Amino acid sequence: MAQQTNIPTTLYPEGAPLKRFIKKRLGRATLWSNLFMLATLVGIIALIALLYNIFNSAFGFVALQNKIDPTALVLQVQEEQLLAVPNVVASENDEELAAGIAADANAIGFFGYAYYQAHADQLKLLSVEGVAPAAATVEDGTYPLARPLFIYSTQKSLQTKPQVAEFVDFYLANVTNEISDVGYFPASSALLAAGAARLQEATVNANEGERSDTIVTTGSSTVYPLTVRMGEQFAAAGFTGVVTGESTGTKAGLAQLCTRGSEVDIANASRAITRVETEACRKAKVQPVELRIGSDAVALVVSRENAFLEAVTLEQLRQIFTTAGKWSDVNPDWPDQPIARFVPGIDSGTLDFFVEATFDGQLAALPKETLMTILTANVSSGLIRRFENDQPFAERSQEDIYQLVVERVIESQIVRSWTLRDSLLQRTEIEAEVAQIPNGELVFRNWLTADFVTSPQSSEPLQAGVRTALLGSLWVILITMLFALPVGVGAAVYLEEYAGNNWFNRLIETNINNLAGVPSIIYGMLGLAVFVRILEPLTSGRLWGVVDPTTANGRTVLSAGLTLGLLIMPVIIINAREAIRAVPNSLRQASYGLGATQWQTIWHHVLPTALPGILTGAILAISRAIGETAPLVVIGASTFIVMDPNSPFAKFTTLPIQIYQWTSRPQAEFRNLAAAAIVVLMVLLLTLNASAVILRNRYSIKEV
Amino acid sequence: MQGELKMASAQPIQKELEQTAPPPFNLKRRYRPGETVIQGFLFVCGAISILTTVGIIFVLGEESWLFFRNAEVSIVEFFTGIMWQPAILRFGIWPLVIATLTTSIMAMIVALPLGLMIAIYLSEYASPRIRKAVKPVLEVLAGVPTVVYGYFALTFMTPLLQQIIGKNVVEVYNNASAGIVIGILILPLVTSMSEDALAAVPQALRQAAYGLGATKLETAMRIVVPAALSGISAAFIIAVSRAVGETMVVAIAAGAGPRNFGSWGDALTDLAVFNPFKAGETMTGHIVRISGGDLSYGTLDYTSLFAIGMLLFLMTLGLNIVSHILVSRFREEYD
Repeated sequence: MAQQTNIPTTLYPEGAPLKRFIKKRLGRATLWSNLFMLATLVGIIALIALLYNIFNSAFGFVALQNKIDPTALVLQVQEEQLLAVPNVVASENDEELAAGIAADANAIGFFGYAYYQAHADQLKLLSVEGVAPAAATVEDGTYPLARPLFIYSTQKSLQTKPQVAEFVDFYLANVTNEISDVGYFPASSALLAAGAARLQEATVNANEGERSDTIVTTGSSTVYPLTVRMGEQFAAAGFTGVVTGESTGTKAGLAQLCTRGSEVDIANASRAITRVETEACRKAKVQPVELRIGSDAVALVVSRENAFLEAVTLEQLRQIFTTAGKWSDVNPDWPDQPIARFVPGIDSGTLDFFVEATFDGQLAALPKETLMTILTANVSSGLIRRFENDQPFAERSQEDIYQLVVERVIESQIVRSWTLRDSLLQRTEIEAEVAQIPNGELVFRNWLTADFVTSPQSSEPLQAGVRTALLGSLWVILITMLFALPVGVGAAVYLEEYAGNNWFNRLIETNINNLAGVPSIIYGMLGLAVFVRILEPLTSGRLWGVVDPTTANGRTVLSAGLTLGLLIMPVIIINAREAIRAVPNSLRQASYGLGATQWQTIWHHVLPTALPGILTGAILAISRAIGETAPLVVIGASTFIVMDPNSPFAKFTTLPIQIYQWTSRPQAEFRNLAAAAIVVLMVLLLTLNASAVILRNRYSIKEV
Repeated sequence: MQGELKMASAQPIQKELEQTAPPPFNLKRRYRPGETVIQGFLFVCGAISILTTVGIIFVLGEESWLFFRNAEVSIVEFFTGIMWQPAILRFGIWPLVIATLTTSIMAMIVALPLGLMIAIYLSEYASPRIRKAVKPVLEVLAGVPTVVYGYFALTFMTPLLQQIIGKNVVEVYNNASAGIVIGILILPLVTSMSEDALAAVPQALRQAAYGLGATKLETAMRIVVPAALSGISAAFIIAVSRAVGETMVVAIAAGAGPRNFGSWGDALTDLAVFNPFKAGETMTGHIVRISGGDLSYGTLDYTSLFAIGMLLFLMTLGLNIVSHILVSRFREEYD
């Protein structure tokens, strides 16, 4: 009889419950697989965030504040040079200059076009770079020495003196009629309209001030005849007062306008007001109002008696007015006569304009002697003597002296810096903020330049570089490699080839595995106690008689290298062991079979075969050592050194330590420096790792 | 025919050989001193690692001994004290240890789940193409120096946390951002070790599970992970040990100055000590900060560092030994 066993039929669902059950499981499976994928995505996002953060800080806008405006400095120096050469006559009075040039066949000079026109019978106009001054060439800018003409008034004058406001209004309305007569070129109607609008703006709150009879003008000798003419016309139109005028030069005129309590109502100017002058106005609580009234061409003239000159180039002009003594120095076809130069004086806007247009205004492009002049003029003699003692100026290059000028004379300071993202997105706010800074300048700075890599450490963020740190890192790694590689590979060879399976060798193995997991800072403390303190005669170089006079203790490159060597040795040993283990035994057997000794087998067969694997592991260990910071801080890397390390017994700092120090500073510009240094470090590491990967891929194909 | 030829020519050769016979071979093994020297040198290389360990234990031990021998210091206070203030000679280790633990726990919260999930994804789900794409990312993450992570914590993670949680809750220097970034730092370690453990599980187990109708998730979570559990736990413990020993991230982002507290009662009631969003120096951060400044040999400050170092060394050594035991004793062996 068959036994009737009770098979439960409700254990496993069937039908509809089964479908639900499967659906639930599948649903859970998909959910979790998506979560796993999400986790991977989080890892990738973390890396992207890391890289983005670094690059964000490595570029960006920087607000610089200069103690002295470099362009103004260059201009001043070049003008002084121009006026200091022999055979030069300088005057603010253009009539004087015209007369002088007309009298001498070997003379040359320049002033506003109106003065040439007034003496056109005695003077000859030269074309510059092949272009002669005319209305057309001034308008479209092909004439190199075309420039705008302005009159400046103050808000106070316009508001409190109605006769000044009326005069300016008349001026703007009628200047175009008179200007060609005087000898200049008219401004476009758009510019005049803009001037009129500014006048309206300035006088909108005018209280009915006292009407007086005088309007005081001063300033540019170039605009002087025009203002005089407009004054006459104003009187002809019904003005009963007096328009006084002086020809002092643009610089003096604007300076007078911008003094507190100034009597000057209108300053003529043959160039735009500079930032420095605007600053001076702001300090004197004067608000200048700029009004464009026309254009001028600076005419380069020689006497009618001059037979050899028709056209000059800018390069020739440069020589004529500075270095050349005789005409034949510039062009051998020209006569062997000394050049007689007639130029406007130091206060003249015409001189400013000519120098700016003809000479290169870059501070960095100035020759060494000029930079030396700037340096000696602006820096105390004691400091100059100290520089001379450190390194004689004759030995320093032009770049060195330029750096000194930038550091000591210009004294650029960083006021604020922004990240790349902020720089791109908040451009207008940043520009508005920088406009508020006196003498401020907005520069887009790439913190990671070639200069950054080659400059030594400095406390000034603008000058700081990583050269000292980079060289320190390289020195330390060299010593680490020389120590750790032979010893590590030797230990691996011993453990794999020679060691028997006794308790001592097992102890060594366990020991190495444990050492690989010890935190790096413990190695630092070991290095501090042993290499820096106990072995001080060895590591400071006293034993060898080579002592760095500034250190005389064990905190040297040698200690650092040895400590890092101990740190990475377990890793090298473990990797080398794997590589040696991977060498097939048949190779060894074949070698023994041919009668080789153990060492011969190892040296000639095992090691060469295992070498790629050993090298890969070594490169990875070394890239880990390059990035190590904590042990070296404990050993005593220098916080601030400027001298590059030049021996194993030198003080040192490394790239990661430099990054650590810069990150710890509160100012934002040091974060930017840290970011740039991080990029340098990562590039170094990436190169190393890439070479390890290439090595591994190349040699793994050749495996037997 | 050829045989005959040979026989015919053998005789004259044999005569020649007998006439010009070389001396008998010396088959004794030649003594090579070079081999012994080299073996000795290699043994010394191997023994240097022992010297390193001996050196670590000796140095840490001696300076700690000097520290505890000092009249101002009591070993009881060191292990039970709650204020670390060398200026007034209070050497209680707990503020530093609590900060270390807080940071490490935050790191674990980030790294362990993420790492394990990524490892499962890579070993069970991902196609070879995806694996080839993700592996380099993990390798790059593993190769980034810790200073860079510190910079990342200070300039990215802290502002991010401040944005999410609020500036008044999250201080500029805090343990949370340091902890999260340490988690990202050890993520590749957890992933690679877990993945190795998962890959060691033979395919046969997985096939059997699929054969019984299990989904990928069930196979992974109920068959593979339990089989690889020893390796995964070893990975976790190594990760904890690494997080405890991490220095630069906390030195940069976690602040300077131990978070001393008044009493254990206070600590356990208002939990301010355990707040990860405030600054709190860890053991490693403290060592780096003090050694970065002026430090003269033999002073109490100097030896106190070694006492902290000894504690740190013992902690990480203990963790490493535990993980080793887990792997060796509980590893599943398959044929």
